[in-house]
Amino acid sequence: MRFLNTQLVNVLRRQCITQTPVLTQREGSWLMTRCLKTLLLPSSPPWRALSTAQRLRKEASQPSTDKLDLDLWKSVMKSGGDSAVVTQAEESAEASPLGAVRELVEMWRQAGKLVPENMTEEELQTLEELSTKSSRKKYLKYLALKEGHKKARKKKQEKKKQERAEDAKGSGEDEEEDGSRMKNTFLLQFWQRSIDALYNWRAAQAMQFGQSLVFDMSYDRYMTRREIENTVSQLLECEGWNRRALDPFHLHFCNLKVEAAYHKELIKRYSGAWDRLLVSATDRPHQEVFPREKLVYLTADSPHVLKTFDHDKVYIVGAMVDKSIQTGLSLANAKRLNLATARLPLDEYLLWDSGAKNLTLDQVIRILLTIKDTGSWEKALRFVPSRKHEGFYKPQQSEHKHWGKAEARRDNSRTQGAFVRHQAFNPKMQQTLLKDSRSGETAGKSKGKKNWWEEED
Amino acid sequence: MGTLLISCTLNSIYPLLVHSRASCFAVHKNVSSFFKVWVPLKVQRFSTRVGNSYEGDDKRPNTKQKEQSGKVPHALPKSVFAAGTARKKAEFLKQKWGNDFDKALKGPRKPKENNIPSQPLSAAQWKTLKDDARASHHFEVSMMEKMLAANSDIDVAKSLLAYVAMETGTVSYELLLRYLTLCVHGNHESEVFDVYDIMKKRFKTLETGAYSLFIKGFSRTEKWRECLLLLESIKRVITPSPRNYGYAINGALLHSDSRTAWVLYEEMVEKGLTPNQETWQAFFDSDRSAHDSESKLSSLLLYMRNNQIYPGEALVKSIKVWFESVPGNKWNGSWTTPENSGHCRNCCSSLESIQLTEDEYNQLKEKVMNDVIQGKDVFKKTTPQELESFKSFVKKRPPFDVIIDGLNVANTTSKGNQSETLLEVVSHLAQQNLRLLVLGRKHMLRGSRSWDRKNMSVIQQKADCFFTDNISEDDPFLLYATLHSGNHCKFLSRDLMRDHKACLPDSSTRRLFFKWQRGHQLVLSSYTAGRRIRFETVPKYDTIIQTEENSWHIPYDEDGVERYSYEVPRKWLCLEMKR
Repeated sequence: MRFLNTQLVNVLRRQCITQTPVLTQREGSWLMTRCLKTLLLPSSPPWRALSTAQRLRKEASQPSTDKLDLDLWKSVMKSGGDSAVVTQAEESAEASPLGAVRELVEMWRQAGKLVPENMTEEELQTLEELSTKSSRKKYLKYLALKEGHKKARKKKQEKKKQERAEDAKGSGEDEEEDGSRMKNTFLLQFWQRSIDALYNWRAAQAMQFGQSLVFDMSYDRYMTRREIENTVSQLLECEGWNRRALDPFHLHFCNLKVEAAYHKELIKRYSGAWDRLLVSATDRPHQEVFPREKLVYLTADSPHVLKTFDHDKVYIVGAMVDKSIQTGLSLANAKRLNLATARLPLDEYLLWDSGAKNLTLDQVIRILLTIKDTGSWEKALRFVPSRKHEGFYKPQQSEHKHWGKAEARRDNSRTQGAFVRHQAFNPKMQQTLLKDSRSGETAGKSKGKKNWWEEED
Repeated sequence: MGTLLISCTLNSIYPLLVHSRASCFAVHKNVSSFFKVWVPLKVQRFSTRVGNSYEGDDKRPNTKQKEQSGKVPHALPKSVFAAGTARKKAEFLKQKWGNDFDKALKGPRKPKENNIPSQPLSAAQWKTLKDDARASHHFEVSMMEKMLAANSDIDVAKSLLAYVAMETGTVSYELLLRYLTLCVHGNHESEVFDVYDIMKKRFKTLETGAYSLFIKGFSRTEKWRECLLLLESIKRVITPSPRNYGYAINGALLHSDSRTAWVLYEEMVEKGLTPNQETWQAFFDSDRSAHDSESKLSSLLLYMRNNQIYPGEALVKSIKVWFESVPGNKWNGSWTTPENSGHCRNCCSSLESIQLTEDEYNQLKEKVMNDVIQGKDVFKKTTPQELESFKSFVKKRPPFDVIIDGLNVANTTSKGNQSETLLEVVSHLAQQNLRLLVLGRKHMLRGSRSWDRKNMSVIQQKADCFFTDNISEDDPFLLYATLHSGNHCKFLSRDLMRDHKACLPDSSTRRLFFKWQRGHQLVLSSYTAGRRIRFETVPKYDTIIQTEENSWHIPYDEDGVERYSYEVPRKWLCLEMKR
């Protein structure tokens, strides 16, 4: 089609319009094809061009009306088609088993549907296995959106890179102008790796002395692959929030079966870092790792409300994403093991608007970290997405209405929280305090070890 | 819970209608023979006693209710399972809460700009139009879509295509597809052929949307055989939809090739697709003159029966006409509704009973036990200990007559105390010497404002009670106890048990459950504290397409009545052979 010059077609069209009054539409299109053929294919006998030209000239004298050639596009499409077919046929000469699916995707793309531009063999395979049209369309849409995000991210990175390069250039020029100007070294640069080291020390400390938080990884059979992927993303985020917290939890991934879907996905997402990660991963169930009476299963379906955060308990969070809400799954697990259960006091503090009362894992860990740190549910429940509620109850109202009794205890824990915050800034003091407060066993253990600040000194 | 409460206020507003309509529940006089053999004595006792209560209730005048009955907008259907009930309830709620909700959902609507030209434009005119448009990169496709929505003249679309071809030298697949849609909807046969030629030439394969449109377009023309090829091309990538098959079948039938049509039909059914009503209608319509595939057509009706599909009004009219046009003028069809006794008002023959056969009953019992109560994880709904204790509890006692969903009944009305409501219903049923089982949760025993200890102890005297843990579900226990007590036992609840039905593994079991449910569920239709307790009629006949030697009874969906999946139609077609 490329060789069909627009200008040329315009000329032809003008000529065609002049003669349509005498011809019916169909004849007009026939003539058009002829015209095109004679002009485009040099092999056709020259007399045809002549004759048409003659006719055209003869009829040009007739007054042109506003009648348009409506079937012009057909002749254009028909005439240019040959080459397209040939090239396409060549392309699909290699008959792969997924060829039909690939072609379908390509045609859907041409039909303006939301499908990705590039697909791997694996994705095509998954697509072929889907049985219904709607499921295929959904999967393609998902892939297309993913591709779109990836592209946007790449573009942004590229732009930043360019900007940085330009900046560097600019500053480089400055330096040249000023000659040998030294960097300001009055303050030592605080490197990212120093921060990482700090975080790691905190995590390591939490692993030794901190409160444990369990993620129950026994739900993989209830989830689709995508849900597992989402769960692992959320777990990554959880670990990140926990690492950056002032007083992190000691994270346990219990029931984590080696080579199961969770494990594979975790290793994939963390790549090399998985082995260096400061969390405890085990395939043992949580009831074996911890004494049963210390465990509290956090589940939205529990009848009991978590009124105060207990720093001695080990809370369990079910590591699960259920896109189609599966009510009572984690409660069933807790019931089976006869564990204590609790739900977060969402109704007691928040004026709930709409939406399910189950939260994502990262929201849960931020709530737990905050409540642990501050002892204030008002602060902690700020991490519940605001679309789900209309705001907090008025402070006095909630205390008055819900639990006057619990208030005293809450105050108590608040002071404790403040104390925790203080500790985090002063590791030495923390250690001494910990020695006082912890049982002799842990204290003895820590004594035997060489402390990190001793190395630093 | 909200809907339940509202619906019962609804009932109390319109009591006069309820008076005339609602009758006693569970009258087993003419039930299936199996049932008679099984518990004949009980049935007798049960029905007469309930009958008494019905009369007693009816005599009581109620002036207050008369005043309110002026508001009655339309008659209420008899049963929660009757077609249209859910729809009416929804409309009632909408009225009650005003239309704010509706408005809030829709929001202020922007007037749609409609700048579709009324006649074909030249390229230059299109160009100016495109330059004026806001999103010019998407101009052609969106313009074509607008034309499709406005069902505008095809010549305008053609002129647009001509402009595009001129401008770019080609027409994109997307635009062609939109144009094709316009042609197929407007029935422009020759255009469809032309587009087909062009698309085939330009593109090696097409996608499902284009194939479907071509099948539809070709089915009405003499080129209908092309449909079969197109169907094959779809099959290479995906299972064709029932609609695709439907149009292909339509094409074959229109051109009197019924053999091909039946082959296609069987292929579709084999693939597990449910044919469209239009397809069935086409079969009946096309066979009207020839009458050479009677057995096949009756197999269509049996297919509907086996899958509990109800024909729509258009289809059922075709069926009627087909039967009446059978040579020899043998059949006579009429519109009817069955009596509550289970007899057809037209031919007086009795309809199939709603009671399950013993095999079906046992099968259902087992399935409900395995899939609803235990499911994949017993802990999800209860605990093994609790289940065991309930099982032995039921086993130790003689069969019950009515199982009551305590919490559901207690919350029938928003007025009054919950335990009082429950007590009243329980004593009403206990008066009739029925063996009752009340299911509840343990918190009901703790004693509180709404759960009075005294009331609870009276209830416990009048009926057996079982209280599950507060975190266990009570509905599965209800189903278990009802099924365990035998075919005569009924349960009282307003809950439609849809979530439990959904736990069943296959559709045939679900249909069986639904049939059992319709025959065994009591629903409080009217309750006024201290005055009236009334139950909805339990039908004695099964609402399903049924045939005997010389008659067909076909329940169908009326036009204008929105039937939900858990409802059954009320209108029937009775076809009987003339003697």
